[in-house]
Amino acid sequence: MATTTAALPARATRTRTFRPIWAWYALLVALMVWGLAAWIDELHYGLAATGMRDVVSWGMYIFTFAFFIGLSAGGLIMASSAEVFGIKALKPLSRLGVLSAAACVAVAALMIIPDLGQPFRVENIFIHPNWTSPLIWDILIITIYFIFSVVDLYVLQRHATEPSRWKSIVRVMAYVGLPTAILLHSVTAWIFGLQIARSWWNTSLMAPLFVVSAVLSGTALVTLLALCAEHFGKVELAEDTRKWLRGFIVISLFIDLFFVGADYITVLWGNVPADRAALNLVLPGGSWAQLFWIEWIVGGLIPLALLLIPRLRKMPGSLGLASILVIVGVYAFRIELVVLGFINPLTQFPPGNAVGTYNPATSSFQLVGRYHPTWIEIGIVLGLVGLFAALVTFGYQKLHVMEPLEGRKHRKTVSTRTSGS
Amino acid sequence: MAAKKDDYVPHHVMVIDTNRCIGCWSCAIACKQINNEPLGYFWNRVLTTAPNQSSTAKAPASDNLDVPWGTYPNCELAYLPVACQQCNDAPCVKVCPVQATFRRDDGTVLIDYNRCIGCRYCMAACPYGVRIFNWGDSQYAPGGVVGYGKEYWTGDRLVFTPERPKGVVEKCTFCVERIDVGEKPYCVVACPMGARIFGDLNDPDSEVNELVNIGGGEQLHPELGTDPNVYYLPVAKRVPGES
Repeated sequence: MATTTAALPARATRTRTFRPIWAWYALLVALMVWGLAAWIDELHYGLAATGMRDVVSWGMYIFTFAFFIGLSAGGLIMASSAEVFGIKALKPLSRLGVLSAAACVAVAALMIIPDLGQPFRVENIFIHPNWTSPLIWDILIITIYFIFSVVDLYVLQRHATEPSRWKSIVRVMAYVGLPTAILLHSVTAWIFGLQIARSWWNTSLMAPLFVVSAVLSGTALVTLLALCAEHFGKVELAEDTRKWLRGFIVISLFIDLFFVGADYITVLWGNVPADRAALNLVLPGGSWAQLFWIEWIVGGLIPLALLLIPRLRKMPGSLGLASILVIVGVYAFRIELVVLGFINPLTQFPPGNAVGTYNPATSSFQLVGRYHPTWIEIGIVLGLVGLFAALVTFGYQKLHVMEPLEGRKHRKTVSTRTSGS
Repeated sequence: MAAKKDDYVPHHVMVIDTNRCIGCWSCAIACKQINNEPLGYFWNRVLTTAPNQSSTAKAPASDNLDVPWGTYPNCELAYLPVACQQCNDAPCVKVCPVQATFRRDDGTVLIDYNRCIGCRYCMAACPYGVRIFNWGDSQYAPGGVVGYGKEYWTGDRLVFTPERPKGVVEKCTFCVERIDVGEKPYCVVACPMGARIFGDLNDPDSEVNELVNIGGGEQLHPELGTDPNVYYLPVAKRVPGES
């Protein structure tokens, strides 16, 4: 009974927004075509088409990869904690969360392909895996996580129609999902955190920091998707659900800023030249200081104010705006993390490293690394963002993932259904 | 010297005497020639440092070559030739996801150019910044020397080819094709000051054995535990009053 009443408004919405949705799909397809064209161009010219060179040898693909891995957290962690810790208010977002988790991790995995110099040798990863490499473990956990999310989505879909039969499986999936999500972010963090050559990365704080910033950005993403669903799909988010989302974002943002700040203090007080060389770039006055402001003000203080100060909190759209700013802040943190590790290499003496390409107008050496993404990189990344948006929109439309509305009108029916099953 | 058995594996080591280095870049140029390194590539570089300085404790006076460190009258100048350090516990070997970078029993770290997928994780992991990626189509100086000019295989691994494919990482090979037939790496031959000494550390009578064990040969960044097979003899500072 509850499911039929819930499905009705969604169906009505679909017919009503028939035209705008095709415009939206057309935009996403255009982005994907641009990305594909950029990749074909890159295949032709090699990675010389990117802004990366021998000093800063990882760029936009890698920090966007790490960013999408982080985004995939929120959904699964939210769905799992709703079950494990019995947070009823978050249960309506379970399927939307798992859908976005699956889409994010798929896009993150694809993000690696254009970063490879020899993408058509990728099968070597399966033929000759080197088990001491964190990258192999990351590929393994990404694969597991993707399969898990897809299976979890299927289980939750079945649970929505036959709650009594699938209830115990949903519970088992939740208990497995939580550690899997934490492991995914830790292993991705260890790609960077284990490297002795980069003092900026080489901290045991890396894995906890990745987990907490993943929860932060992932929750913000699911919040945004839910608000979009509310806006376009005429479903209503319960005040309780908003409260929990706000709570998740505020607490993880506090922990995230605390970890980053603790790392800054350790480096500042210790004053070890190699560590300071990286930190000085991002602190106010450094050449990458805009990242500091985006991270601490745009993605830190402003969202905190929007979510905590009662007058701002009651403003319509404050939760959505805070979510967008938080995501921007976490992206800035990913750029800071990856790129600043490269700018000042450990062995840094004049004239520096050979850059690996020849341009008659400039020196073949670089003492301090430089990096600006090219349009090829931006195009490929936007193409994959388009793919992500298309996957989520398509999944949302076809799977009706927002079933039990838990709006004020529906709360009673939903709560009886969950407790009764 | 004891008679060597057929399955004897030497331990190849290079010692660089920084007292003798005059910063002429002959080793870097010789390296470019024998290995046919394209324009903008240097497997071997001669860095401008202060004496016995292996990490950047203070900022250099300039980004350019041959500018003394410090401010007048407290200026210092020394050279540090850096190529692959051929680590025994090499971070690049540990991180390579496809075992394209590997260490031979003689201590040389090599790259299989047929297997590398171009992920560049090894470049992120190397503390010495000696790895170079083939970003695009290589450019060569017209009429340049082609050098060794043939492929070289260790077992089924392609460890040298005159033109490395686009999208793989390359680096110093200790001139594997030369040391396997008993010759010395080409930079050792090319150094006009005899600052580079190459040999077998397992041979107790070798010059490298003496320089490493008695002569005070030091590794770059020994604190990282990478245990390189390239050693440096420190610059001996002159005591005032002595000639």
